[in-house]
Order: sequence, then structure tokens, then C-alpha cells
Amino acid sequence: MLKSTAIAGGFAALSLGMAMPAMAADVAPAALIIAQGGLGDGAWNDTANAGFEAGLAKTGVEGRPIESKDVAAQGEEIMRRAADGGFGLVISLEWIHGEPMEKLAVDYPDANWVIMNQTRKGDNVASVVFAEHEGSYLAGALAAQVTTDTSIKGINEDAVIGVIGGVKAPGIDKFIVGYIQGAQAINPDIEVKVAYSDSFGDPAKGQQMAKAMFDEGADIVYQVAGGTGIGIIEAAKAAGHYAIGVDTDQDGMAPGSVLTSVLKRVDVAVENVIEAYAQGEFPGGEIMDFGLAQNGVALSDMNHTKDMIPAAYLEKVAQLEADIIAGKIDVWDVSSEGYPEFFK
Amino acid sequence: MTEIAAARRFDAIAWFDKGIGLAFPFVVALAVASAVLLAVGENPIDVFSLMAAESFGSTRRIAATLSAATPLLFTGVATAICFRSGVFNVGVEGAFVIGGLCGAFVGFSLPAGFGLALIPLAFAFAAIGSALWLSVPGYLLARYEVDEVVSTLMLNFVAFGITGYLVNGPLLSEISGNNVTPLVHEAAQLPRLLPPSTVHAGFLVGLVLVVAYGLWARRTPSGFEGALVGHNRRFSKAIGISIPATIVLVMVISGIVAGMGGASHALGQLHRFADGFSPGYGFTGMAVALLGRNTATGILLGAILFGALASAGTTVQLFSDIPLDIVNIIEGTVMIFAVVELGRLSLRRWRGAS
Repeated sequence: MLKSTAIAGGFAALSLGMAMPAMAADVAPAALIIAQGGLGDGAWNDTANAGFEAGLAKTGVEGRPIESKDVAAQGEEIMRRAADGGFGLVISLEWIHGEPMEKLAVDYPDANWVIMNQTRKGDNVASVVFAEHEGSYLAGALAAQVTTDTSIKGINEDAVIGVIGGVKAPGIDKFIVGYIQGAQAINPDIEVKVAYSDSFGDPAKGQQMAKAMFDEGADIVYQVAGGTGIGIIEAAKAAGHYAIGVDTDQDGMAPGSVLTSVLKRVDVAVENVIEAYAQGEFPGGEIMDFGLAQNGVALSDMNHTKDMIPAAYLEKVAQLEADIIAGKIDVWDVSSEGYPEFFK
Repeated sequence: MTEIAAARRFDAIAWFDKGIGLAFPFVVALAVASAVLLAVGENPIDVFSLMAAESFGSTRRIAATLSAATPLLFTGVATAICFRSGVFNVGVEGAFVIGGLCGAFVGFSLPAGFGLALIPLAFAFAAIGSALWLSVPGYLLARYEVDEVVSTLMLNFVAFGITGYLVNGPLLSEISGNNVTPLVHEAAQLPRLLPPSTVHAGFLVGLVLVVAYGLWARRTPSGFEGALVGHNRRFSKAIGISIPATIVLVMVISGIVAGMGGASHALGQLHRFADGFSPGYGFTGMAVALLGRNTATGILLGAILFGALASAGTTVQLFSDIPLDIVNIIEGTVMIFAVVELGRLSLRRWRGAS
């Protein structure tokens, strides 16, 4: 008896809860599924959620971020529940949700689905990808200028820089090729040392590999190796040289030892998606490419290093950025164009 | 006659005691959560009824709850089997992820031509891997009296390290820069029981294991010996039970069950191994075993309760402003009072004995 009352009450509350967002705006509400690590990670999830909130505030769309301790396994159930519950836009930040989302999009043709860092099929699925090669190009251009300026502490006169990727794969070489191209735009004879850690979670290995590169004359090493990169940043700090961070602003991990970070502006992407959705222009079936022009990738603010970098270098980087946006420079994208001549 | 009546009455009291044992921590947890909800200005009755509807309100929600409960059936049994023998194995979490990686490995690395045979092969490989894994602390305890709480706890970190390394390096899927293995072959994926819900055949495997555990514990000599070792080691030894053999046996069975749980999760739920494979199923399994008093029925109910909290706790966020923290408070409180209740019982037993 008590149980059935509780369930009936539950349904009442449920329908009440569902009616609430629908009344507040004339478009169905949006859900943002938070990836592993949860809110409060100070990185990917928090950045995306900030864009989510900004987008909601701007458009008046109702929406909620959804957290789960078991987001990998429960993703499909959460997304299905959202679609069943009348949500019109479901954005997942979790990479592993790509597979189930492709199936859910077929089951719920009226809902709109967004996945990050991969392309998924479906007329109602928008795939958000970031032009990491463009951001990496700027990082390479900055590094190539700094690496021969011995007036900067920890810099030798050799035109040698480095990059360490997590694994030899097109998704990672996209960063590396952009970086090399940017460096060569400044100095065609520069030597860019390339290595792969074969692991995204091995800081000790990252530290060893970065140390080896520093010993061979490199003074700036770009990390494209996830958790392994933490060791690369530590090695830069220990050796008195520089690392370049990736994805989120890693400048603060070793203030003064991280030259800059190549940012993925997931907040810009999420805000953009919500605005398009609110205006009835959801880019279903499209690949949304967020590059420098869309402010989807960028270099960090360099709060700890900008005072020691000569202003002319930063101006040159800004000039290159403007040229890329204007289409005067074409940065090679390994993920769509394959490998270039200079990097086989 | 009177004897039978007395036995029946005793049985009824025992059942009542078990019922209270299961319900008490939950009731306290609801009271604590109510207080927190009131403090943040939410109506507890609304919240709990919404949660009830999200856990059991429709076939789909029940299926979601059972899906979330599935790994806990395995980890609950794997924990209980050791706890009832007084072996405080907290390494089920590590054995679960080892089993998951072994199962996924068989599922994607063997040729797809193996077809349905992939499933038993994956389960077997996972069971063997995890059994070997837990046999190490079992042997160390049996032979050298190395404290099993410390050894199994530490082995969890080793398991996370090994699986984390493999999934970020040698076994990393080529098509992704992310920390996942390739998908297992389609033939190796466990079928779903109530499509489109994610509850899969692994739930049935879990149920069979719970029943088998119940029968083993109550109906077989080795199950009885296991319990006796838990009650009184000196007495067990005196009547000729080998304590070291029992310890190694329960650890190995625990590993087999935990490994099968990992395989079931890999083949049925994620279809691969990935970073974040287990959000702590092994530790929740401990709470399930404690709450369920190591009984088969108790484990089943405990797993469903925690499964409901996990699935409903997430989806209520779609329809209310209740943060995940409230659900974490309920889970945490249930765990604490499950242990407290256990402590109270053992105290009573100890007093009764002396």
C-alpha cells in the first residue's frame, strides 16, 4: 500500500518535473552529460559546463547537467531516459558514448544529439571536432621563435624543439604535423624531434622521454600525451626548460615552465550548439569544426610566461593566426588529408 | 511437537532479524538524507517518490535498475564468500577489472570466426585470471599470515596500474586516441534481455551465481566448513578443518566470481575495456555483502537497492535540481550503518558466547 502510494507520488512528481522545463521555454530542454572525472575537474567538464550555462542563459532554454559516478556503463540508459523524458537536445562529453548515441539517434529521431571529438552518423547527430592542428601550428610558431633566443632563461642557441605524442595515430599526428608546420613557417631548417610514449597514462615514461629530448638540445617540448604529459611538464620544470600543454590550460601546473597551452574551447562549442538549437538551426548530420576562426582552439593567456616572451614573437603568432583565419595559410590536417610530404 | 514449534518460532525470529538488518541501515540513510534535503530546502517526500519512480516506475526503469545491479551481484557474492569465512578480502575491485580486461581481450583478439564460443572462452579466461590474481594474497595469508586487508587493498592499485597501462598502450584501440580497447566481436556481446534497455544476459549469470552461492553455503560440506572457519577458527582446526586450505579456496572462488563479473560487464555492458571500467563495483559489493549478511537473498536485495540508487540517482537530475551528492550521502549512510549493524550483531554474539 505504502509502496504503491510512493510510486504514484513519484509519477506525479515526475510529470510535474517534466512539465516545468517545457513551460519555461518553447523549445524542449537540454541535457549535458558530464564525462568521467565529473564536475569540479577544473578542465574538460567544468569548461563545457560553463559554456552550457552561458548558452542556457543567453537563449532561455531550460537544461541540466547530469553527473554519474558510473558514466561509462550508464551512459546509454541516461541518454535514453533524457529522450524519453522529453529532452530535445542531449550533449555528451563522454567519448565512450559515441557508439550508443549512434543507435539512440535512430530510436529518437525527434531529439538532437551532440558528441565530441569523433564523427558519428545520423541526421540528428552533430559531431563536434576541434581543429587541433591550427592551435598546434601557433604553438610551433611560438616555440620556433623562442628556441633560439638565449636571452630567455633556460633557452640554448640550437634550433631544436620537441614533441611527444601518446600514440602513433592520425588523431595525435594531427597535432604533431600542425606543430611542425608552424615551426617550419618561422625557421625552415628547424629540427623538431618527434617521439611517442605509447601510453597516455605513464607520467614516469613522459618524464624520461622529455629529459632525453632536453639532453639532446631541445629546450621546448610539446606534450600530446594526456596523463603521460604530466611527467613531461615535470621534466621541463626539473631541467629548467619548457613544456607546452595541451587541451586545457596547463600553464599553472608548473608556473613559468609551461610556455603555453593549446586549448580546446569546448565551452565555445557547447554554447554554439545551444544557440543553434534554440534558433531551430540544429546542425544535425554535420561535423562542426571548431578552429581558430570559431575561437574553438586557442593558445592560453600565458599568464606565467608572457612577460618573458618578447612582444614581437607574440605579434608574429597573432599575425599567423589572422592569416589562418583569413585562409592565407592552410594548416595540414592529418585526420582528413592523410600524411604530408614533410612527415611520413 | 513443541520442538518443531520452537524451531519455527526461532526461524521466524531469524527472518525478522534479517529483515530488520536489511531495512535498518536503509531507513537511517533515508532519515539522514531527509535531514540534508530539508536543510537545502527540498521536500524529501517529493525527492524520494521521484527516486522511487525513477528506479521502479516502469519496465524500462526497472530494467535500468537491474542493469546497474548486475555487476554488484558478482562483486557481492565474491565479497560475501570471503567475509563469511572471516577473510576480509577487499580486493574484489581489482579482481573485477582484471577479469574485465581478460574478458574483453578474448572478445576482440581471437578471430571472430569463433562465434558464440567466444563468450565461454572470455568468461573462462577472466575467471582464471582473477582466480590466480586473488590466490596470491590468499596463499600469503594462509602460508605466512600476511594481513589480507593490506595485501588485497594494495593489489587493487596494482590492478588499476596494470589495466591502465595496457588500455593506454599495447591494447589501445587504433581508431581512437582515447583510453579504450577495440570493441569485442559482435558474437561475443551478451544479448540484451529487454531491449532497448541495457540489462543483458550477464544479469542471469549473476543470478545463477547468487543461487549457486546460496546452495553452496547452506547445502555443501565445504560451504559449511567455510562458515565454521568464520565463526571459530580454533574449533574448526580442532575438528580437522584445514584453515589454510579454506582460506585459499574462498579466495580462489572469490576471484572466479569477480572475474566472471568483469567479463560480464565487458561483454554485456561496455563491449570493451575502458578507463573507468569500474566506478568501484568491488567496494559497493562489500556494502552489498554486509547489508545482505552474506546471504544469497540479502545479496540479491542489496544489489538491487544499490543498483536502484545508482540508476535513479543519475536520472533524477534530469527532472529536479537534486545533485548527485544527495545520492552519495544515501549510499554512504547505508554502507556505514550496514557495518554498524554487523558490529552490533557480532557484539551480541560475543556476549552470548562468553
